[in-house]
Amino acid sequence: MSDENGPDTGKPAKKAAGAELVLPVAGLIFTIYYFTTIIDVPWTAQVSAFFVGTILIGLIIALIIRTVIQVRRGEASLSLAPLIAPRDYVPKRLALLGLTLSYVFFIEWGGFTITTFLFLLCSMLLLSGGKKKGLILTISLILSVGGYFLFIVVFNTRFPKGPVETMLHGVF
Amino acid sequence: MEIDWGLFAELFGRTFTFWWVILPAILLGLIVGAIPGFSAANTIIILLPLTLAMEPEIGLIFMVALYASSRMGAGIPAILVNIPGTAGAAATPLDGYPMTKQGRAQQALAISFVSSVFGGLLTTILALLAMPWLSQVAYHLHSVEMIVIMLFGISLIATIAAKDTLKGLIAGFFGLMIGYIGADVVYETPRGTFGFLELYDKVPLIPALVGLFAVSEAFAVIEGESILTKRGMEAMQKAGWAETWEGVRLAVSRWWHIIWTSIIGLVIGVVPGAGAAIASFVAYQQSKTFSKTPEKYGTGHLDGLVAPESANNGVTSGTLIPLLVIGVPGGATAAIMAVVLQYHGVTVGPDLFDSQPELAYGAFTAMAVTYAIMILTVLPLARYMSRITVVSTTYMAPIIISFTLVGAFVPRAYVFDMYLALAFGVIGYVARKTGYHVAAILIGVILGPLLENYFLRALRISQGDVMVIFSSNLGDVMWVMLIVSLFVPMYLDRRRKRQAEQAVPTTTDC
Repeated sequence: MSDENGPDTGKPAKKAAGAELVLPVAGLIFTIYYFTTIIDVPWTAQVSAFFVGTILIGLIIALIIRTVIQVRRGEASLSLAPLIAPRDYVPKRLALLGLTLSYVFFIEWGGFTITTFLFLLCSMLLLSGGKKKGLILTISLILSVGGYFLFIVVFNTRFPKGPVETMLHGVF
Repeated sequence: MEIDWGLFAELFGRTFTFWWVILPAILLGLIVGAIPGFSAANTIIILLPLTLAMEPEIGLIFMVALYASSRMGAGIPAILVNIPGTAGAAATPLDGYPMTKQGRAQQALAISFVSSVFGGLLTTILALLAMPWLSQVAYHLHSVEMIVIMLFGISLIATIAAKDTLKGLIAGFFGLMIGYIGADVVYETPRGTFGFLELYDKVPLIPALVGLFAVSEAFAVIEGESILTKRGMEAMQKAGWAETWEGVRLAVSRWWHIIWTSIIGLVIGVVPGAGAAIASFVAYQQSKTFSKTPEKYGTGHLDGLVAPESANNGVTSGTLIPLLVIGVPGGATAAIMAVVLQYHGVTVGPDLFDSQPELAYGAFTAMAVTYAIMILTVLPLARYMSRITVVSTTYMAPIIISFTLVGAFVPRAYVFDMYLALAFGVIGYVARKTGYHVAAILIGVILGPLLENYFLRALRISQGDVMVIFSSNLGDVMWVMLIVSLFVPMYLDRRRKRQAEQAVPTTTDC
C-alpha cells in the first residue's frame, strides 16, 4: 500500500485509507443485496446468512469508524491511490484486462487453440512493448498447440472447442 | 482387526513389483495436481475406461499413486508462482512464495517434497496401524462437533491476517457470505445469485481459487520484470545442487514439526467432507500458535511451509480410512475409488479386511510405496522446476491468465466459470493492493456452505433450539479448545510485546 506525503514533502506519511474501504463497501452492498433475496424465504434459508452477514456488517462499521477517526486525526486520507499505483502501469493493466475479457468472450466460439494463441500473442506483445516478436510468436504457437495436444488429445479434457478442434477431431 | 505383520511385509514387497504402474501415475498426478482446475478426482474420472479395464488391485494402486502424487504436485505452483494447484495447497504459498521471491525456490521445493513425503509416509503407516481406532472418529463427530471444527477454520482467518485482525476478519466473513451464494439445502431457494442459474449450485471452488490467487497475481506481477527481488534473482542465478540438499537438511531438522502437523492432517482427513484445505490451514495456525517466532510467519518461514505440506499429505491416507473401514468415502477421490472397486464387485466396508485383505491393506501399502518412490524421483527435479521463477513476467503473466482461466472452465464446462474467475480476480487484485489476504477470502468461500449445512442440520435436529451447539460433551471440549486456541496467541503476543518493551530501556541503560 502506498502512502501519501512521503518523506520528500517533509510531512508525516498518511495512510491511504480510502482504498482500504473499497472491499468492505463492496461486501456491505453485497450483504444488503443478499439479505433482500432471503427476506421472504423459510427461516432455514435465512438463519445462518443473517448470523454471518450481521457480523460482517458490524466489522465493516468498526473499520469505517476507525478510518473516520484516523482521517480526523490527520493520520489517513480517503485516497484511492494504492489501487492504481504505480500509475505508469495503468494503461497496460487496463489493456490486459480488455484482452482477458475478449479472450473469455471469444473462446466459446473460437475454441481453446486459436483463441489462446491470439491472446498469448497480443498480451505478450503488449507487455513487451512490441519487442522480441519472433520469440513471442514461437512461445504462443508452442503453448497453444502443445496445450491442444496435451489437454484435448492426450487427456481428453473438456476444453472449449472451436473450428480448429472440430477440424482436427477426425485426425487425432 | 488384528495386525498381521507377515501380510504387511508381503504386501509391501508385492506393491514394489508394480513400479511400472506407480511411476506413470506419479508423473500424471504431479501434472494434474499442479494445474488449477485439474484434480486427482477429475483425472480418475477421465481415465475410468483405463482403470475399469485393469485388475482391481492394479487399478487401486494406480488410483492411490495418482491421488498421493497430485497432493504433492499442488504445492509446486503454490511455491513457485503463488498459485495453488488445488484448494488443499492454499496455505502453502503463505510462506512458500516469499521464499521464492527471495531466490530460495529450490530450497522451498525441497522442503515441500520432504515434508509431503515424510508426512504422507508417516500417516500412511499410522493409518495402517491405528485404523480400527481412527475409524471411530467419524462416528463421534456429528453436526454440533462439525460446527466447532468449521469455527476452528474461521478462527484461522485471524491468524493469517495477523497484521490487521479487523481487515482479516472482514475478508474472511466476506468470503463466508460469498460461500452462502446459491440455493439453500432444504427448500432450494436461490439466494444472492444475481439471477445466474450457474450459481444455484453454490460458488464453484476452482474459479474462486483461480481468480483470487492466479488472475489477481498475474495482474499484480506485471509491475516488475520478474517475480523475484533483485537479491532473489542473484541468488537464483548462483543456485546449484547445494540448495536442494540444504532444503532437505532444513526439512529433516524439522522432523518433529512434520510429525505432529501431519497427524493433524490424518485426523482431519478421517472426518468425511473436512478435506485438505481445512487441514492445511489448521496445521498452519497451530504451528504459528506454538511457535517461538510467530512474527516470522508469512515472510518465508520454514515452519510455515512444512506445516501445510505435511498436513495436506496426512489427509490423503486419512480419507481412505472411513472408505475402507465403514464404507463412507472421506472425499471426492475416495468416492470415485469406491465406484471403481464396486464395478469390480468389491464392496468397501469392514468385511473387506477379511474377504480381500490384499485390497484393504494394499491401498495403504500402495500409498507408502508411492511416497517412497516419489522422493527419489521428484527431489532431483527441484533444481530444474525452480528455474521457472527467472522467466520474465512479460511471458509468465499471460500464460498464467490463459491456462488458469481455462482450468476454471474444466470442472463444469461453463464459460460462465471463466467470467466468475475473472470477477474473483478483480476482488483478489483489490484485496492484494489494499492489504486484505486472499487466503482469508478463500477460507470463507470454502467454509461457508459447510458451516451452513452443519448449522441447519443441528437446528433441525433440535427443532430450532440454538443451545444445541452446547449439547454434546465432545463438542463442549472442542469449544474450550477453540477458545484457548483463539486467546493463547493473543496472550503470547501481548507478553512478547511487553517483554520487548521492557528490553528497550534495559538496552538504553547499558
